[in-house]
Amino acid sequence: MKKHMRNTSIAVGLAAGLTAIGGAAAAQDCTTKIGAVLPTSVDWGKPIAATAQYVVEQVNAAGGVAGCEIEMVLRDSQVDPKVGVDAAKALVDLDGVQVLLGAVSSGVSMPILTSVTAPAGVMQMSCCSSSTAFTGLAEEGKTKGLWFRTFATTGVQSAVAAMVAKDKGYKSIAILYKNDDWGQDIGKLAAADFAAVGVEVTGSVALNDGQASYRAEVTEALKGQPEAIYLALYPKEGTAAVREWISLGGTQNMIVANSLKSDEFRENVGLQYLGNTTGTDTASPRSASATRFVDQYTEHFGSAPSGPGLSNSYDATMIALLAMEAAGKDSSGEEIAAMVGKVTDPAGTPVSADAEGFAAAKEILAGGGSVFYQGATGNVRFDANGDVSAPAVTWGFSEGGIEELQYISLDEVDSFMGSLN
Amino acid sequence: MIQHLADGILVGSILSLGAIGLTMVMHMLRFANFSHAELLSVGAYCALVFDGVFAGVHSGLAQAIGSLSLTWTLALSIIVSMAVTGFSAVAIDRLVFRRVRALGGELSMVFASFGVAMILRNILGLIFGLQAQLYSRDIVFAVMISSDPLLLIKPDQVFSLVAALVFMMILHLVLSRTTFGYALRAVAENPTLAQVSGISLQRMIILIWLIGGGLAAAAGIFYGLTNQINPVLGRDLVLPIFAATIVGGIGSIYGAVLGGFLVGIASNVALLILPSGYSPAVPFLIILAVLLVRPTGLFGEERP
Repeated sequence: MKKHMRNTSIAVGLAAGLTAIGGAAAAQDCTTKIGAVLPTSVDWGKPIAATAQYVVEQVNAAGGVAGCEIEMVLRDSQVDPKVGVDAAKALVDLDGVQVLLGAVSSGVSMPILTSVTAPAGVMQMSCCSSSTAFTGLAEEGKTKGLWFRTFATTGVQSAVAAMVAKDKGYKSIAILYKNDDWGQDIGKLAAADFAAVGVEVTGSVALNDGQASYRAEVTEALKGQPEAIYLALYPKEGTAAVREWISLGGTQNMIVANSLKSDEFRENVGLQYLGNTTGTDTASPRSASATRFVDQYTEHFGSAPSGPGLSNSYDATMIALLAMEAAGKDSSGEEIAAMVGKVTDPAGTPVSADAEGFAAAKEILAGGGSVFYQGATGNVRFDANGDVSAPAVTWGFSEGGIEELQYISLDEVDSFMGSLN
Repeated sequence: MIQHLADGILVGSILSLGAIGLTMVMHMLRFANFSHAELLSVGAYCALVFDGVFAGVHSGLAQAIGSLSLTWTLALSIIVSMAVTGFSAVAIDRLVFRRVRALGGELSMVFASFGVAMILRNILGLIFGLQAQLYSRDIVFAVMISSDPLLLIKPDQVFSLVAALVFMMILHLVLSRTTFGYALRAVAENPTLAQVSGISLQRMIILIWLIGGGLAAAAGIFYGLTNQINPVLGRDLVLPIFAATIVGGIGSIYGAVLGGFLVGIASNVALLILPSGYSPAVPFLIILAVLLVRPTGLFGEERP
């Protein structure tokens, strides 16, 4: 199986290489390699890699970067930290890449960042890692400014949960969170955000997978008699815990994370108890550039971008290549990373997310100007830690399934998150 | 405190039922059967199927009994599932364990039981899907027994406890009052001597699987009734059930009953001291403590 996967990834890599050579007519006689470590052996990882490759093709069609053809060397991470680190090491040491795209899971991106890219001075741009552990690392200066991601942190969701609690006028809330990296992260963030908007947190209880009963945990959360409950759980234990919670007379004022956006949860708990449930989620922006991405993706791949992280992957790749263009030929990872601000500069000239946009950006950058990239995930702006924000939605359960309640634009999310600190 | 104690007893009754079968098999066949907990899943899914079938045959029976979420069809399914699961256990013994017993040693049996557990779990997942299922979508509200100290109890849990106690009582009567009971104990004490006295070992083994499987099915259904059913239900419960068996002493049925309640209570009460994130460690701690202080368990006897 493993061997088969490796063969597949080699095949994908070869195919990627061949496509790049195929498009060489438009470009020059030099080649610059960039690396990508993505989980191509899982079904949702393949489109993420294909999207990155699509960007490379577009850029090559626009004449390549700094006069050179771009070749993306793709390696499979198998969603395994060890495999991911090996792949990244090979790309950095053997292929000599200065830009690394990846990985998807925070658990894979993190060891790559700390043991490969940061020590080697290579810029790393992830499409999909959401853990706030990266923010902490960046604040300590350990990412050396080489780390960027185009996926919003879990902080956006916890902030929106606090916004909902405040809007509904809840005075107190209990938190039930899944006892894993994600759950602990979002549970802690939510507790801080609720406190920041003046909602008292009566208790924060961790739930483990596969327990014989969640009775004791639920009883623990009931103790403070909260007016509402926040759930950062997955459907399996979420269903068991919420049924227990309701049967013990707990409040039906619920705020839930996007992990419970599931029909299984809705059906097994029962709609009659979920009338007062508000969910949170991050959303793609409702902007012209996002719609354009959907259109050109659909035209190229023959289907709409429905999987996770596709627009993020597009922007991650495009911004990395724009920064390479801005830094010039044979730049180091540090020099490229320093240029990311110049291509996502709100004061710069707006450029679109396609081959024409890249060509336009080349001219502006050559003339010494800065550009403002209008991406598939909207107007991407990185903060000092390489993080981006995202618009959000709130949703609820209804007869028909799951319904969007409110769209919260990027500006609203940003200003609300700013008010929390 | 009272609430945690009550919850512990209610969860404990399910563990006890599971531990009885495990302790009997472990004692008689001299191997740690890691697939025993999967019989709980088999029983739970069996009842789900028969519940549907009976409701299809006679829709009038698909009504909840009193203030329980338990329906008449499900009550009927409990009996049928116990029988079906008991026979499945016999069939598994025929297909796998008997052959391994004839060829290999204790360790081979343990590994075989891991294999059987995986096969059963995945078959259930293939047939019924990995998502959680419920006997009844209705949520039955807990009854407040007292407000200070707070004590809330769900009618379904009381039913499970009573039914479990009834099954245990029946088993007790059978073991202490019938020739079969004596024969069973004789085989457990000394299989060779028992055979010399004219007891059929094969028959005893079949009966043990029937009883163990039947009680496991009941435990699985009660678990499903008070929580939810999913293919990994057995895997989730295997550790507490083993803890109950070891605490009670391998081979002691009364020890298994007591062990089940002790583990149930300890896991619940532990939350008063430990953060909830550590609750899965409690059965391990209990096993460690018992093995250190009294390696034979509370009621176990040292085997020569």
